[in-house]
Amino acid sequence: MNPVRVAIAVARKDLRSEWRTRELVPALAQFIILALLIANFGFQIDSRNANTIVPGVLWLALVFAGLVAFGRTFAAEREQASLEAMLLTPASPVAIFAGKALAALALLVACEAVMLPALALFFGVPIGVDTVMAVLLATVGMAALGCLFSAMVARVRARELLLPLLTLPLWIPFIVAGGQAVQSAMGVSSDYEEAIGLLIDFDILFVVLTSLAARFVLDE
Amino acid sequence: MSVIVGNGLTHWFGHDLALDNVDLVIDAGEHMAVLGDNGAGKTTLLRILATSLRPTSGTLEIAGLNSHRERRRLRHYLGYVGHALGLYPALTASENLEFFCDLHGTPAPRVREVLETVGLAGAAHRRADQLSRGQQQRLAIARAVLHEPRLLILDEPDASLGADAAELLTSLMHGKTVVLATHDHALANRLCPRTLVLRHGRSVGTATRLHVVK
Repeated sequence: MNPVRVAIAVARKDLRSEWRTRELVPALAQFIILALLIANFGFQIDSRNANTIVPGVLWLALVFAGLVAFGRTFAAEREQASLEAMLLTPASPVAIFAGKALAALALLVACEAVMLPALALFFGVPIGVDTVMAVLLATVGMAALGCLFSAMVARVRARELLLPLLTLPLWIPFIVAGGQAVQSAMGVSSDYEEAIGLLIDFDILFVVLTSLAARFVLDE
Repeated sequence: MSVIVGNGLTHWFGHDLALDNVDLVIDAGEHMAVLGDNGAGKTTLLRILATSLRPTSGTLEIAGLNSHRERRRLRHYLGYVGHALGLYPALTASENLEFFCDLHGTPAPRVREVLETVGLAGAAHRRADQLSRGQQQRLAIARAVLHEPRLLILDEPDASLGADAAELLTSLMHGKTVVLATHDHALANRLCPRTLVLRHGRSVGTATRLHVVK
C-alpha cells in the first residue's frame, strides 16, 4: 500500500466532504472575524500600539479557531463509525493520520486566508510575506499536534474539555516563536530569522513525534 | 482446514462481561450464523473476529495468523459489515467506494462492478446521505466485498435490505468463509449450515441446520 496515495486519498476525502457540507470553514471564518471585532473594541488599538498588540490578537484567534477545527477532525469519523472502517483496511495508520492532518492544515490555512487580510483591514497593520510565512510555519506543527490529540480524545466523552487541556501546553512553543516572528515582521523587534529557525525546528520535531505516536493512538 | 480458531475468547467492557470464554472453529468455505438475543455478545464476537476489537483474554488465529500481532496482514483477507455503516454522508456511493479502493490498493474499475452486484449501479452518483437505509446497507456491504476478501464477517447484514436480502447475500457469500450474526432464524437457516448460539456472552453450543429448524 502506497502511504502517499493513502494520505492524499484521506485528505482529498476530508476536503471534498467539507466543500460539500461547508460545516467548518464558514463557521471558523465567522468566529475569527468576531474575535477580531471584539479585540478591536476591547483593546483600544490605534496606530501607536497596533504593532505590539495585534500579534497577540492573531495568535489568540488562531489558537481558538484551531481547537475547534482539530476537535472535529476525528470526532466526525467516530460519530459516523467510519474510522473503524478506515482502520480495518491494510492502509498504514500513520498514512491515515498524515492525510487527516493535511486536510486539517488546509482548512486552517483557509481560515488564515480570511484572518490575515481582516487584521490588516481592522487594525491597519502591515501583513507581508514574513508574517504569512511565520503563521504558515506555526500552523504545520500545530496541525500535527492538534490532530494527534484529537485522535486521542475522540473516544472519550469529555473530549471538548480534554482537547484544549492536552493541546494548549504543547502549542506554547509555536505561540512563543510565532509571536516573536510576527512581532519582528511588524517591526517591533529584530530577531525574525531566529524565530523562524525555531519554528522550523519545532515543526520537524513535532511532525516526527506525532507520526511515531499516531500508529499507537490509531491502531490500539 | 480451519480458517478461524478461537480459544477462550472473553471480553469485558469495564465491569460488564460481554463475551465469556467462547471457543470457535470455522473451516474454510464454511458459513456459520451467530444467533442470540440483544446483548448476547454477537457484535462483540464479530468485532473480535474482524480484528476491530482485541479480546480481554483468549487467543484467536485467522488463516493461521495471530489476529492481534498480524492484524494488518489479515485485513487483506477479511471484509466486515458492522452495525454502524461507517459511510461518508457527503460523498456519493461511488466516491465512498473509490476512497476505500485507495486504502485497499484495489483498482478503481472494481467500484462499478461491485455497485452492480449489490444493485446500486443506478445510485452511483447519489450522495450517501440521500440513499435510503436499505441502499446505505447495500453500500456498506459493497465496501466490505470491494477487495474480494476470502472471509466475510457480517453483523446483521439483512437489516433494511428488503425482500431480496437472501439472494443478494447468497451470491456474495459464494466461495467465501462467512460468519453472519442475525436475529432472523429463517435467514440463518437458509444461508448457513451451522449455527452458534450465544446467551449472556456464553456459547450455548453449535447446531446444524436441522436442529435450528426443530
